[in-house]
Amino acid sequence: MIRKEIVLPAGRDEVWSALTDPRRLKDWFANDVELDLRPGGEASFRWDNGESRHATVIEVEEGERLVFEWEGEGDVEFTLADDAGGTRLTVVETSPAWTSALDLQASALAYA
Amino acid sequence: MSSLDQVFSALADPSRRHLLGYLADHGTATATELTGELPMTRQAVSKHLVTLSDAGLVSSERAGRETRYRLTETGEEWDERLDALRRHLERDG
Repeated sequence: MIRKEIVLPAGRDEVWSALTDPRRLKDWFANDVELDLRPGGEASFRWDNGESRHATVIEVEEGERLVFEWEGEGDVEFTLADDAGGTRLTVVETSPAWTSALDLQASALAYA
Repeated sequence: MSSLDQVFSALADPSRRHLLGYLADHGTATATELTGELPMTRQAVSKHLVTLSDAGLVSSERAGRETRYRLTETGEEWDERLDALRRHLERDG
């Protein structure tokens, strides 16, 4: 599991819009973005280097939580919270390829 | 061996799990520090560190004349993406 946290200098609405508006996603996430923002909706991201990834939207709680699933490659969960510096954004990505290895590492550490 | 096989095989050894435990507690360590902490020769520690590095569980960086080892941090891709998001919001705001 990968977990990242960042405090962004903007309100929650603004951060939500940057995460979910395809026109804005094109400015920071991918070069071409299609996104159907509703549970079960499809998303596709394309980059100028020829790479492309598809995802399915799992959960949408406006301004609070967005979950999508990379095609066959695990979930990404965004959580937004108010913070003195703006908005605290937490990203958690779980990937099936790594989950077992990292969980095993965690148990190994617990029982070391 | 696939990368997952390498990870499992690296974790199968109690001494290597011990090394991972030490790195998890202390952040970073040199092979010399690890040798002092665990009942192993420096040569054995170095060999285990190679196995752990090959499996992607441990990474190393040179600091002056010594090499420091740490648990591999994952998610660098997200660091870059989130940096890009912050720059996007700064431009926009």
